[in-house]
Amino acid sequence: MTTPQSCDALVIGGGVNGLTAAAYLARGGKRTLLVEARAAAGGLCETAPLSDGALAPMAAHAFYALDPRVLKELKLSRHGLKFSVRDAPLSLLRGGADRLVLTRDVRASARSIATHSKSDAEAWPRYRNEMFALGRTMRALWWNANGKFVADGVVERIARTGASAWLDSWFESDALKALLAFDASLLSPPESGSALLLLWHAAQEMCGLQAAVAFAAGGPGALVTALMKACEAAGVEIRTNAEVTELTIQGGHVTGARLSSGDIVAAPLALSSLSRHTSLSQLANGTALGLAERKALNDKFPIAEAKIVLALDGLPEVRDAAGALNGRLIFAERLESYVLAHADARAGRIPQEPIMEVTIPTMGDPDLAPQGKHVASVLVRSVPREIPGGWTAAKAKFAAKALANLDSRIPGLVNHVIAAEVLTPEDLSTRYHMEAEDLHVSRMLAPWPQRVQTPISGLFLCGAGADVAPAISGRAGRIAATIAIGKR
Amino acid sequence: MIDTLRASAFHARTAAVNRSNAWGTRNNVTLPTAYANANDEALAARTRVALTDLGARWQLMLEGPRVTELLQTLLTRDAIALSPSHAFKALWLADGGGVRGAAVVGRFGKESFWLLSASPDVEWLGMAAAYFDVGVRDISADRCGLAIIGPYAGVTLEAAGVQSNLEPLAFRKASWRGLEVLLSRFGEHGGYELWCAADDAVMVWDRIVLAGAAFGIVPVGTIAMDALDIEAGVPRPHRDYVPAIDSSASEPSPGSLGLASLIDPEHISFNGRKGFLATAKGETRRLTGVELDSDCAAPHTALIADGRVRGRTLSSSYSPSLRRAIALAQLEKELDRPGTRLSLTLPPSIDSTAICVAQATVADLPFLPSPYSCAP
Repeated sequence: MTTPQSCDALVIGGGVNGLTAAAYLARGGKRTLLVEARAAAGGLCETAPLSDGALAPMAAHAFYALDPRVLKELKLSRHGLKFSVRDAPLSLLRGGADRLVLTRDVRASARSIATHSKSDAEAWPRYRNEMFALGRTMRALWWNANGKFVADGVVERIARTGASAWLDSWFESDALKALLAFDASLLSPPESGSALLLLWHAAQEMCGLQAAVAFAAGGPGALVTALMKACEAAGVEIRTNAEVTELTIQGGHVTGARLSSGDIVAAPLALSSLSRHTSLSQLANGTALGLAERKALNDKFPIAEAKIVLALDGLPEVRDAAGALNGRLIFAERLESYVLAHADARAGRIPQEPIMEVTIPTMGDPDLAPQGKHVASVLVRSVPREIPGGWTAAKAKFAAKALANLDSRIPGLVNHVIAAEVLTPEDLSTRYHMEAEDLHVSRMLAPWPQRVQTPISGLFLCGAGADVAPAISGRAGRIAATIAIGKR
Repeated sequence: MIDTLRASAFHARTAAVNRSNAWGTRNNVTLPTAYANANDEALAARTRVALTDLGARWQLMLEGPRVTELLQTLLTRDAIALSPSHAFKALWLADGGGVRGAAVVGRFGKESFWLLSASPDVEWLGMAAAYFDVGVRDISADRCGLAIIGPYAGVTLEAAGVQSNLEPLAFRKASWRGLEVLLSRFGEHGGYELWCAADDAVMVWDRIVLAGAAFGIVPVGTIAMDALDIEAGVPRPHRDYVPAIDSSASEPSPGSLGLASLIDPEHISFNGRKGFLATAKGETRRLTGVELDSDCAAPHTALIADGRVRGRTLSSSYSPSLRRAIALAQLEKELDRPGTRLSLTLPPSIDSTAICVAQATVADLPFLPSPYSCAP
């Protein structure tokens, strides 16, 4: 039994980008239907109960790339979005008492750097100023639908260089380079494009502050709640438990989609916030794709991320890190640690020394857990997407290694764990359709229409796969909707 | 990977009659470039009968339930319409529409096709076949072929005991005095091809040479075959053009190589069609022929008119039939009228360091009709 339904625009996937795209389409006068496969919208921005009333960010835990225009134009603060931490410090925890904390205060950061290297402390303000200035110039390309890359000698040099070479050209201390490299760690530091990721981070703005990292009050799910309200205000119809199984295409034009329920939705415009692979290879069945493009889409990027969330009955005493615990804690010994982790992951092994980013959201937002209790969110970078024997069998070993690494950096923390949930790359893929995609310099410097448009007329990509680099941003949703409305 | 040279299955016989001991390689197969005199060999192919070793052809068997689906996507003609024992000539294009290869594709059965190409493209076909779960067998070393060309090709085969009544672009299996062979008519020069197991190569060679002796059969090397190709207006990969390697390449375009006729306009689902159509709209060059006012061949040379470079030659050769050097050329469309005069610089010679400028005249392709069309 199929129920025909029609709309002007169909948005597939109810993550941040999908919701953003739907809101913009509806504001642009399109009758918009958003379909989400899961029982609730939100995608990677899920805040879920973990134990005894503790709420944990299950996938994304920090915002660094939210599009300021989305926040402003969709009036998300009016819809209830608040930030518990607006400018989180970035800290490195290495073995022993080796700490480094970077904040917006350049002098305080330089003082912290000076304990590792005096020359690095002197270089820090210049590095920061240069990255910020270059980042601002790149916003024309990265923030606008019609932006084009204007050849710039320094940017071209950064694009050709790996993060390791770029950071080596500025700094000498392992600690500082290891800390900064985390923001480029979607790629291995020697790979070209990884330095461009540093620049892309520097170009972002959160809460009016360049390159800031913020935590949402109430967890990342609060952003989804606000976006849902924006969608509601714009008149978007949202259907959950509605998985799209196939896009219907006639003569190279999208005509709608078939849902797992058997329902058919007719729509001359479809925006998919799923990955490029899922949208074009699976939903569109490879239609209109070239052979090489099909193969490239089917080649899975071998490196992924994993997530561990912990409910804690308290926090151990952490020396000199009171402020740092309010922000992002990076666990990496040196630049080479990233290279080794990437190499291990590429070979299908759990890294000997996992690269980790830890946040304790309850430090800035105590309401996320009962009084005295805490939640820790651990992002583990550079783990294999697939592992010999499967992730189910390797899960316990992976968790043990990650927790041992955690305990070595914050001694005693593991003793406070009362509940834990480990999300392997397989779990993240099954639950959130999260797929790691290879990053190329050409993609990062391409104008938006090139990433958003597809060979199928009327089908646009609006997810993280269409963004310059994968992040919770909403920018891909906004720009895809803008381009799609302009094309119709 | 280092490619190793291999000998053709006919090597024992070609080596024995290669009086000039001149050898070249095509697709890593050693072949005689000229057995004695290349001009005589090219003339023999036009006036009598000639045989040439097809050992450098890349031969694949494509098999599986989805093989037609693969070929529909891969090739510029629709394989569904092809009936068994028949073949077509088609191209395969990169995603951007650039020519990656050209082939003759014959159908054995419902799920079995034979692909013959002058140049291998292992990576691309392997990738495409894997996508459609189609089995690919490279039979280039196991099966070998001889081309029998010239006005007396048919009677030579009849004299050898092989029935020669076969329409162009068709093939049939035959049992030939104890040998299992396959006779085809795929060539641009209007002759026949005789395919057999590599182990039977020497016997097949001997039988054809014996039967053709009465008609003056001669073996033809690669130089003479190149001259015949140019006379027929047939561009070949790695001789006239570099196939598209980058998957998104739009060059070389089928139109600029005179290969657009190998694209079926009714077939709309082949890879690279969008790129081909986009390039075809703005195509400014066309494949044409040029006759040089010289005996000296001028391959890959700029063609000049009104003091400007207006095109370039591709491969070039002395044509003993036309008694002058000829070349395939890519020329701007406004200059491609037969009779248009152009100038070009000839390559330096051993006895002179002076820059030698020659005149050339645009000619229609083919320069000459196929040798077989002159059959008595």
